[in-house]
Amino acid sequence: MAALAPTPAQRGRRLVSSAWRSVVNLYKVMRANPLSFVGFVLVAITLILAFIVVADPSLIIPYGATQDTGVYREPPTILQWPPSIAHPFGTDQGGRDIYSAVLLALPLDLGIGVGIAGISVLLGGFLGLVAGFWDKPGTLGGATSTLIMRVTDVFLAFPSLILALAIVASIGRGVWSAVLAITITWWPYYVRLVRGEVLAVKHLPYVTAARAAGVKDTRILTRHVLRNVLDPIIVYFTLDIGTVLVTFSTISFVGAGIPYPGPIPEWGSMMSYYQGNFLLSQYWWYIAFPAIAIFMTALSYSLLGDGLRDVLDPRTRRALTQTVAHEPPSEVKEAAVAPVETPEEEEALEESEA
Amino acid sequence: MTQPVLSVENLSVEYEVGAGRFQAVSDVSLVIPPGRVVGIVGETGCGKSTLAQAIPRLLPEPPAHILSGKIIFQGVDLVPVPRGKLPMVRGTGIGMIFQEPLNSLNPAFRVFDQIAESIQIRHWREMGVLPVFHPGPTPWDYSHRPLPETADVLSHSVIPPGAKEKVQRKALSRADYRREVLDYLRLVRINDPETILNLYPHELSGGMRQRIMIAMALSEKPALLIADEPTSALDVTIQAQVLTLMKELIDEVSASILYISHDLGVVAETADDLGVMYAGRLVEFGPVADIFERPRHPYTKSLLRSIPTRYKTDWPMPTIPGSVPNLSLLPRGCRFHPRCALARPICGQEPHPPLRVVEGATASGTPHQSACHFAEEVASQP
Repeated sequence: MAALAPTPAQRGRRLVSSAWRSVVNLYKVMRANPLSFVGFVLVAITLILAFIVVADPSLIIPYGATQDTGVYREPPTILQWPPSIAHPFGTDQGGRDIYSAVLLALPLDLGIGVGIAGISVLLGGFLGLVAGFWDKPGTLGGATSTLIMRVTDVFLAFPSLILALAIVASIGRGVWSAVLAITITWWPYYVRLVRGEVLAVKHLPYVTAARAAGVKDTRILTRHVLRNVLDPIIVYFTLDIGTVLVTFSTISFVGAGIPYPGPIPEWGSMMSYYQGNFLLSQYWWYIAFPAIAIFMTALSYSLLGDGLRDVLDPRTRRALTQTVAHEPPSEVKEAAVAPVETPEEEEALEESEA
Repeated sequence: MTQPVLSVENLSVEYEVGAGRFQAVSDVSLVIPPGRVVGIVGETGCGKSTLAQAIPRLLPEPPAHILSGKIIFQGVDLVPVPRGKLPMVRGTGIGMIFQEPLNSLNPAFRVFDQIAESIQIRHWREMGVLPVFHPGPTPWDYSHRPLPETADVLSHSVIPPGAKEKVQRKALSRADYRREVLDYLRLVRINDPETILNLYPHELSGGMRQRIMIAMALSEKPALLIADEPTSALDVTIQAQVLTLMKELIDEVSASILYISHDLGVVAETADDLGVMYAGRLVEFGPVADIFERPRHPYTKSLLRSIPTRYKTDWPMPTIPGSVPNLSLLPRGCRFHPRCALARPICGQEPHPPLRVVEGATASGTPHQSACHFAEEVASQP
């Protein structure tokens, strides 16, 4: 075996080739549905932009954090320039560059969207798994399940936006209080969703079969049940990122979120500030560009969610990655050609496909 | 006489559905000696599958309850065992093959992962990483004690205390698992196992999936294998293939097997002993050859007479009048008497007769038992 063991260089090449193969497969699945491909590209673009803004804003933001264009220093002294080459999204009444503000807000808004939805899916998902899986009445699990569901119901009974506003109003404005407020109102939906999925899956024959094979309950839950409820959860999660953004913007819009103008702009607060002070008919670019930013971000994550559904389902994935109907899948062919596969490569394959 | 692998004593299982409750299995007793194949036949709804799932305690409780009885597996009664300890009995102790191969494989995992999980469970139990069901008294730590009767023994590992340090707790590498999975795929006669390894269940045919299920169950090397109608959901040609496989495997694998089926022909080919169930009760139990040649219960006799063969000339085909009673509205007395040709007043008055040994026990060891007041007369009837 020692003679057959691959050198580090070989291993590296195999890893790269299997990673490349999985990227190609992902591309093939995405390509099959043009809309989700658009979502995939848009999400990639927003992520790259956000990364650049965080790393070195001067690369794409000409006027920096203050957005000071200096338009008021030179004649003719007009502060509100409509969109032009120099100011793609125009300037506002303070001579601020709206393009810079919209880009500066990108990392914060993305972070809020992914963060709030992420905390909610983790917390709500965990509670939903527990509540759905151990729900036998008259046991400790049943009592826990009932407790979780009743608390969830209490939170669901409030209109979430009103509750979030009330929380922000009572603990003060700011990024963190707004995030906290929305998270508190957000997780119960995931408890309901995950619990429903678990209830549907846990009585399926393959769960009984796993039980008959001697698999412990916790492992059945984390391996067999979780993997099969994961698809709808992840799809809902990506759709939800857009909804969180819109909600956060709404909170900012009614004046309870992040103050604008301030150190960090936020799309919702920008819209709120401009619509409160200036005529929409005259200076349409004030509101149009932050609104388009919210819309595009929400849309791209929704489209990506649609595409992920196809990627996560082994059936559609296999059908789409196979170019010829009767051709065996690529990794199978390789297994037939080279029966001695290294564990590393298989693991990499597994990870990349999972 | 050696200790039986499994002995079920007076087992009764009840379902609670809405306000009503009914007994799906009543007072069933059977014994499976080591290395023997015991078949159970009966019509749909007679409690076969309930019995099969009650033995490893897989029935969802509620709605099912084990009302009374013992399920003694390798000397330990499983009925009082807390649910949390049951996994260590299942798989390596009692393995199971289900009747729906279409839904019994997890759709999200490849064939490799499905079988590797079973192998991993057995491997971990062999190494002492996972606790194991204690198979009764063993030379190293229970020889001085009487036969364990409580569930406490379940908490002990089979690894003797002194030997634990010697056990290499090395995890198997993926290549090791791969080799072993391939072995089991070859065992169940799968062509081109290297290709099958990477496929998902939806890419396999029904027969293939059932073979994978069989490979999963066998890879844990169970002491008792319960096959719950493994061929029923398949079409006839595939049934024949899987049945041939099962017969070959029964010869190769030395496990004791409980083979549940509604097909008398299938059981005749596979089983050593045969139990016939009717309306939740075992009405006849004995060696297969005995039962087929000299049935001692009117129900068995009528069943055997109703098997269509190519050579039978009498027409219309003999049938059993009436239908299986609703389990919540059972007739008083013997459960079969409203449909029985031999029925007499006593059949409706006395409670359902228990199984009793009839005369003429055979050499094969298992006594021929019947639950009929007039078991001796059945043979002489036309």
